[in-house]
Amino acid sequence: MRKKNIWVIDDDPIYQILIDKIINRSGKFSSFSSFKNGKDAIDSLANSLKKKDSLPDLILLDINMPVMNGWEFMDAFSLLKPEISNQINIYIVSSSIAAEDKNKSKTYSEILGYLSKPVSINDLLLIASND
Amino acid sequence: MESKNKWSNLISWFLTRPKIAGLIVSLVLCSVVIFVAFQRYQILKENKNNEMDTILSGVHQNIGQSLKNCYATTLTLALTINDEGKPQNFDEIAKQLLASNNSINSVQLVPNGIISYVYPMQGNEAAMGLNILKSKKLRKEALQSIANKKMYFAGPFQLKQGGEGIVGRFPVYHKDKFWGFSAVIIRLETLLKTSGIHAIDKSKYYFQLSKINPNTSKEEFFLPMKGNFSQKNYVSEYIPDGNWKIYLISKNPNDVYTHLMAPTILGFILALCFGVFIVLIFKKPAELQLLVNEQATKLINSEIKFKTIFDQASVGIARIDSYSGYFMEVNKKHSDLLGYSLEEIKNKNFQSVTHPDDLDDDLANLGKLRRGEIREYSMEKRYITKLGKVIWINLTVSPMWEINKQATTHIAIVEDISAIKESEELLKKSEVRFKSLFDDSPLALWEEDYSAVKNYLFELNLINEEPEIVTAFLESHPEIIQKCFSLIKVLNVNNQCLIQYAPKTKLQHLSSTDIILGKDIPHYFIKHLGAICQGNNHLNIDANIKNPKGEIRDIHLIYSVVKGYEDTLERVIIATEDITERKSAEKTALKTQQKIESLINTVDGIVWECDAETLNFSFISEKVKDILGYTPEQWTSSPSFWKDHIHPDDTSWVQNYCRTKVDANSNHDFEYRMIAKNGSSVWLRDIVNIVVETGTATSMRGIMIDITKTKEAEKELNNSFNLVTEQNQRLLNFSYIVSHNLRSHTSNIASIVNLIEISETDEERNEMVQLLKTVSDSLNETMVHLNEVINIRTNIGLVSESINLQQYIDTAQNVLTEQIILNDVSITTIIPKNITVNYNPAYLESILYNIISNSIRYRHPQRKPEISIQWFLENDMNVLQISDNGVGIDLVKNADKIFGMYKTFSNNPDSKGIGLFITKNQIEAMGGTITVESEPNMGTTFKIYIQ
Repeated sequence: MRKKNIWVIDDDPIYQILIDKIINRSGKFSSFSSFKNGKDAIDSLANSLKKKDSLPDLILLDINMPVMNGWEFMDAFSLLKPEISNQINIYIVSSSIAAEDKNKSKTYSEILGYLSKPVSINDLLLIASND
Repeated sequence: MESKNKWSNLISWFLTRPKIAGLIVSLVLCSVVIFVAFQRYQILKENKNNEMDTILSGVHQNIGQSLKNCYATTLTLALTINDEGKPQNFDEIAKQLLASNNSINSVQLVPNGIISYVYPMQGNEAAMGLNILKSKKLRKEALQSIANKKMYFAGPFQLKQGGEGIVGRFPVYHKDKFWGFSAVIIRLETLLKTSGIHAIDKSKYYFQLSKINPNTSKEEFFLPMKGNFSQKNYVSEYIPDGNWKIYLISKNPNDVYTHLMAPTILGFILALCFGVFIVLIFKKPAELQLLVNEQATKLINSEIKFKTIFDQASVGIARIDSYSGYFMEVNKKHSDLLGYSLEEIKNKNFQSVTHPDDLDDDLANLGKLRRGEIREYSMEKRYITKLGKVIWINLTVSPMWEINKQATTHIAIVEDISAIKESEELLKKSEVRFKSLFDDSPLALWEEDYSAVKNYLFELNLINEEPEIVTAFLESHPEIIQKCFSLIKVLNVNNQCLIQYAPKTKLQHLSSTDIILGKDIPHYFIKHLGAICQGNNHLNIDANIKNPKGEIRDIHLIYSVVKGYEDTLERVIIATEDITERKSAEKTALKTQQKIESLINTVDGIVWECDAETLNFSFISEKVKDILGYTPEQWTSSPSFWKDHIHPDDTSWVQNYCRTKVDANSNHDFEYRMIAKNGSSVWLRDIVNIVVETGTATSMRGIMIDITKTKEAEKELNNSFNLVTEQNQRLLNFSYIVSHNLRSHTSNIASIVNLIEISETDEERNEMVQLLKTVSDSLNETMVHLNEVINIRTNIGLVSESINLQQYIDTAQNVLTEQIILNDVSITTIIPKNITVNYNPAYLESILYNIISNSIRYRHPQRKPEISIQWFLENDMNVLQISDNGVGIDLVKNADKIFGMYKTFSNNPDSKGIGLFITKNQIEAMGGTITVESEPNMGTTFKIYIQ
């Protein structure tokens, strides 16, 4: 099985450090990019599309972020979607346990799942294997 | 024939032009006068000339005679000359000669031109010795007589011996040789005397003698001039013997005209008079003609008029043969009446169109007329029209023959009185009907005569007196009332009256008026008399009456004066209706109504009734006074009272709602506000029942219950509910925030712990422990923030003081001095001085600090930061407004986040997302609110509402 390219979009620097560790431990991912808000991520995605660089296979997306939050990222992503040829699996990873957030995530077809923090290695392995 | 015509034409031409005719006649006569005058003038002139010729020839003859005598004298004298040429016996012979011819004054012999012999010497001495051939004056004439060898009379001239005279010189030849002259001297005086000119009528003529002076060849006149000579008013004769001319001159050359003047003038006057006479004569026929024309026009007009009257008359007119009865002439109306055409009717006689029942009367009348017994007659009779219809007419017949003359034709004037007849019939019928109406009326009716009452009141001076005075007077005089009552005369009563008041016969009833006297007659009768005094012809009053059984009955009495008797009151109809039963029923109904009303008034709500269409209220219960403060009268008197007093906010929907419900005939129950008399709003629950009759809503009834208190309680309940909901929401938000913020830390801790557990190296484990420490710190920080927020929310240690706003703004600026200077920020403060707010000092400081520092932090990179702080009132709330010209926030995206905890919008490292969250909580804890308006790149405005 090919190793996957994973993007983590979250404004919590500690979470970023921890997820990096967890990703490394899982050994399922070839590369890892982190973005501290949706805006950085969408810019990078657009840039990669332009340069025909490799695109992520998996995106772990937080909801509450400055500049561009998770929902806004999803709206921007929908606009870019027609240009994207390969499958990008998006999972919401949030400390929020609010039902409304969970329900909202279900309205986006691109979002495959809703994970509550903390994210464990097993979670990641499950995600990685879920194609 | 033709000429005769012309002649008559001419005459008529003149007749129509009297002035021209007069003028022509006058002119013709004038010319005749002129002609006659001229003829007459000629004759007179001739006569005069003849007369003058005769006179002159007489004179001429006399003078000639004298001269002939002189001739003889001179010849005689010459014979005295002897052969020697000497005169012989000159004096002797001269004396004889003078004696025989007294016209000669003296004689001379002038041998060789020298006067040598003169007789008589006396008086003629001066002439002696004069040589006439040498005298310049005399020589020419002397030589002439010598040349002619004839006697020639020289002169007249001044004689040497004095005086004027003529000298006749006869040349004497002796032995064929001129010897001298034999001369006679005649004094002019003498000559004229002998000529007989003195016998001439001196008043008419005078005489003149002239001679051409031989020396000057001019005509000289020797007699004094007595008039104009130049005209042809003289006759003359020449006397060759002396080369003289004698004239007879008319003294009055114009006497011929004088003679003619008067007759001529008279002639002219006569001509003129005749002209005028002709004019007048001729005018007369013209005037007469005019008069004839005028009369003719009048005649025609009057004929047209009468023809028109005849044709257009609204009554039928016919001329009828008085014997046969045939119509000779009828007008249109007449033929219309009968329905026959004008042609048809001429073949009819009046007998054929008259109703057989009326014919005999008509013929009898006509017979009398024909015999001269009457001069005209009128009768009503019936005609039968062409269509067979019977019409009533009024016929008036007048004969067209003179009195005592043979009957010829008569004029019939026919008036259609069918309608009158018909209405008479109707009248009769209706009289019968009304009589039966009167008699059979279910009301008791009296026909009465009040004239005596009125007269009596008049005697008392009560007619037209003030009603109060009349009433007062009558009340104090009951005997007058009795008298008045007895003066009423009952003329007739109807059957119902008899039944009700039951005297045995009408007659008896008529005489017993006193049955009407009830127990309180004075009371209503005073009113009745008052009405009579005021001239009221109609009166409706309730009264009492006693029936024959002695019962007092309530009656409704109607007094009505019969038309045409308003002044006298001789005929009056009194109608009485027994209303005793009705009265008692009314009383019962009234009692019931009063009971219901009092019941209604005890209901704690406004009971009402109104018209479904107009919404006019017909009933409002007394409770309205308690609930709204108005009286029921106020409400019911104004048709729009209800609409006008609905609360302005409710009036529109309430009326629409009502209309819809009424149209649907559906009972309804709704709540709205009305404005009470004291101006307050009163909540009413209006329960409405619609009264439907034959499918449509006729009226509505309902009750309005005062629910103000319930409403107020409800409102309060609502308010507290809202408050609780809001607080719940905030609490929920807060717990959500708390859980979220805490969860991010706990999940990190969980992850770290997990990583520590599975760490393979110490280095790795240490790294994780370090991370754990960081997480612990930030958790702590979060806890502090949350604690702070909880403190704010629970109002712990919250003390409000009256603090100076300006001072706190200054403090905030001082704290931020470094950043203000660094970023060159200008802050403008527009707030009234000494404005104080009741606020927690720490909160105010924190709020001002947070917002101002935000404004500086989010300044626009390309602009000098400007912050404006203002204070104003908005909807009774104090507003502190802080605006900047910074980068602004996209509120479309971020409206829900701006005041949230840990919500940041930028990557600014200073953004923590806690300042505005705390600010909002602080403001709300102080009972205010905060709003934000912002536009990206333009700036942001915060409004802090302070209670």
